[in-house]
Amino acid sequence: MNWFGFWLCLATLFIIGLGFVWVIRGERYFGHLWWPYVMGAGALCIVASLFISNNWASALLGAFGASLIWGSTELKEQAVRTEIGWYPFHAKKILPPFVDVIKKWKAPSL
Amino acid sequence: MEINIVGLATAAATFLGVWLGHVSVRKIERLTVRLWKPTVGALALSGGFAVASFLTSSMPLSAICGILSVTLFWDALEIAVRQPKRIKHGHAPANPNNPRHASILAEYPDATTIDWLDRDPRGTPYSSAELASIRESAK
Repeated sequence: MNWFGFWLCLATLFIIGLGFVWVIRGERYFGHLWWPYVMGAGALCIVASLFISNNWASALLGAFGASLIWGSTELKEQAVRTEIGWYPFHAKKILPPFVDVIKKWKAPSL
Repeated sequence: MEINIVGLATAAATFLGVWLGHVSVRKIERLTVRLWKPTVGALALSGGFAVASFLTSSMPLSAICGILSVTLFWDALEIAVRQPKRIKHGHAPANPNNPRHASILAEYPDATTIDWLDRDPRGTPYSSAELASIRESAK
């Protein structure tokens, strides 16, 4: 019996659950325009996981990286949810570097 | 340095499991009248992947099967409970051609055919008058 997948799926469920929290809180105080940084951080985590020989550490970093990339695509919808009143709207957001460039890009939403 | 693909396999399974689940749950719930069928299907697939994750000796395969097992289990919950609740609250668009959705539209005043999330963020909250006019436009 290989228990790796079982314990890993529980850990991944927790990591995905955390995604709900940080997407909501992150969008509230920082705004959705951070999405390229979040996506880049997720990709970096996945690349870094390739160079970690310990299976558990590599897998957890991979799952965390994937949830960062997924979360980056959720930020835009979350911003709309706050504007239409489903979640609290916070007007004073800490905007990312190069915000004017990012505004010209289409924010991903899957 | 040796490359370890366990993290990459985990990442791919997590992202694809969540993405495909997200898209297919919405589509299936929208089109299906009797939700128990896809719910049981997702649970059966979830169980199959769980068994496979125990039986394989490969670590990347065990990771992929385990994660698909848990995402499919979540999809079953989404199909049976969470997505219908969104439809009732108007947080996801109802499909008037689906008799189950049609009765939700008749029974729940917040249920709507509007996809509220199909718009770009504009940076300011909508007033209640603006929300009412968007709601009115769907009628």
